[in-house]
Amino acid sequence: MAKHEAAPPIPMPGAGGVADEPGFAKGNHAGGEVRTCDTTGLPVCLNAQFFIRVNAVMAVVSLLVGGICALLLGLTRWPAVHLLSAEWFYRVLTAHGLNMLIFWIIFMEIAILYFVGTTLLNTRLASKKTAWVSFVLMVAGAVITNAMIWMGKADVLMTSYTPLQAHPAFYLGIILFAVGTLIGVINFFATIYIAKRDKTYNGSVPLVVFGGITAAIIAVVTLLHGAGIYIPTFLWSLGLIENVDAAAYRLVWWGLGHTSQQINVAAMVSVWYLIATITVGAKPLNQAVCRGAFVLYILFINLASAHHLLVDPGVGAGWKIWNTSYAMYLAVLASMIHGYTVPASIEVAQRKNGWNKGLFQWLAKAPWKNPAFSAVFMSLVIFGFIGGITGVTLGTEQINIIAHNTLRIPGHFHATVVGGTTLAFMGLTYYVVPLIFKREIVAKPLARIQPYLFAAGITTMAIFMSFAGSYGVPRRHWDVGFSGAQLAAGFDSTAHLMLGIMGIGAVLAFTGLLIYILITVVSVFFGPKIEDRPMKAW
Amino acid sequence: MTETKKDESIAEKFEKEKEGEEHLHHAPGTMVLTLLLLLSFVVYYFANWKALADVWPVR
Repeated sequence: MAKHEAAPPIPMPGAGGVADEPGFAKGNHAGGEVRTCDTTGLPVCLNAQFFIRVNAVMAVVSLLVGGICALLLGLTRWPAVHLLSAEWFYRVLTAHGLNMLIFWIIFMEIAILYFVGTTLLNTRLASKKTAWVSFVLMVAGAVITNAMIWMGKADVLMTSYTPLQAHPAFYLGIILFAVGTLIGVINFFATIYIAKRDKTYNGSVPLVVFGGITAAIIAVVTLLHGAGIYIPTFLWSLGLIENVDAAAYRLVWWGLGHTSQQINVAAMVSVWYLIATITVGAKPLNQAVCRGAFVLYILFINLASAHHLLVDPGVGAGWKIWNTSYAMYLAVLASMIHGYTVPASIEVAQRKNGWNKGLFQWLAKAPWKNPAFSAVFMSLVIFGFIGGITGVTLGTEQINIIAHNTLRIPGHFHATVVGGTTLAFMGLTYYVVPLIFKREIVAKPLARIQPYLFAAGITTMAIFMSFAGSYGVPRRHWDVGFSGAQLAAGFDSTAHLMLGIMGIGAVLAFTGLLIYILITVVSVFFGPKIEDRPMKAW
Repeated sequence: MTETKKDESIAEKFEKEKEGEEHLHHAPGTMVLTLLLLLSFVVYYFANWKALADVWPVR
C-alpha cells in the first residue's frame, strides 16, 4: 500500500449488522451534534467525542506520572542501582499503583464506554452535564490523591491497609474519583437506555458494546466495594470512628482492588474484538459463546479476589477453596474462551482474505506493521501465556503459600494489567487519535516499533520479577540486601541477577511507554489534521 | 420459506450446516496455539506442585 494512501473503509463492529441496515441512520442526535467519520462511516456524537478526548488526555497524563514512578521503582529494586531512599520508595510505589491501576485505566475505560455507547449504537450521549460532573469529580479526585501522596501525607501504598493511616484528603480524593466514575458509568447506562428507547440500532447490541456493558456492571460492583470501605476509613482518618478492622478492611478492599482489574479485563477483551474487526475484518466466531463468556466475568470474577486473602487467618479454608479453586476457574474459563475466539476470528478472517497456506500463513501475513494490531495480538499472548498461566497457578491455595507476597505476584499482574490491558489500550490509541481527535499519527515508523519495544520490556520485567520471586524475594520491599540488619540476611547472587535483568526490562518498557506518550501528545496537538477525508492507512 | 428450501432434504440441511460451521470455525493455527498454551500451563502448574512438595514434604 502506498505510504500516503487513504485507509480502506474500516469494518467496524456493527458496520455489518447495524450501519448497513435500514434504520441505522435514524440516530437520535440533535442538529449539529453529530458528524460522520470519513474513515469508518460511523456517526460520532460530538458531545461524546469531547468527553472521549478529555478522558483520554487525563488517562495519558496519569500514565506518564505512573510510568515515571515505574522507572524509579525499577531502578530501586535493581540492587546495583538502588536509586531511591526508603521513604521515597514507598511514596513512589503508592503513586505508581494508584496512577497506573486506577487513574490511567479508568479514565481510558470511561473514554471507551462513551465511544462504544454512542458511536456503535448511533445514539447521542445521554447527558452532557452528567459527563461534566463525572469528569470534574474524577480529575479532582486524581489531583487530590496525587497531591497527598507527593506531599508525603499518604505513604500507605495503593492498598492503604489499616492500621496504616493517611491524611483524610487521600481517602477523600479516592472517594471523589470513585463517585465520578460511578456517575460516568450511570451516564453510559443511560446512553444505552435511550438508544434502545429511540431504536437507534437493530437487534442486539454489538459484541464490543456488550463487553463495555460487562465492564460497566463490574465497575458498579467495584465502586460499591470502594464506597463500603473508603467511607468508613475516611471517617476513621477524621477521628469520627474509633477503628476500622484490619481483616474486614482487606476483605472489602479487595472487592475494589481486584475487581477493578476485572473492569480492565472486560474492557481489554472488548478492545481485542474491536481492533481485530478494524484491522483484519474479524467477526466473532459465535456470538452466544462470546457473550456467555462475558456473563461469566460478571458472575464469578469478584469471587476470584479471594486469592488475595489466602494467608489471612480471618477467613476459613472452605471459603478460600470455594472461591479460588472453583469460582475463580469459571472466570478463567471466560478468559480462555476469549483467548481462543479472538485469535480464531482473526485466523478465519485472514484465511478468508486468502492467507490459507499451512497452519500459520494467516499469522505471518497479519498486519504486523499496524501498531494497533501488533499491540493487541501481543497483549493477547502476554495476557494468556504469562499472566493467565501464572495467575491460575498462584491462585491455587496450596501453591500460593510458596509465592504469597513475593515478587512472583507483581510478576503475574504486570503481565495481565500492563502487558495485557495497557498494551491493548496503547494499540487502541493508534485509532482513537485519527478517528476521534481527527489527527494523523506522527512518526509512523517509530509508532510501528513502539508496541514491540514496550512488549519486550514488560515481558522481560514480568518474567524476571517472577524468577526473583521464586528465590523468595519479597514484593514491596525497598532493600533486599537487608543492610543494617542485626542478623545476616538477604538473597544469593542469582536473585540479584534476576532483579538486575528485571531492571533492564523496566528501562526498556519505560522507553516504549515514553515513545507512546510522545507520539500521542505530538499527534494530538501537532499532527496533520484529518478533515473531510479518511485517515491514512497504516 | 422459499420453494427451494422446502424441497431441501433434512440430510442436505445438515450437510449445509456442517459446511457452514466448518467455514466459520476453521482455525487450525489457533488450535495449535491453544494446545501450546495448555502444554505451557501443565508444565508450569506441575513444576509449582513439585516446588511445593520440595519445600513442604509430607512424611
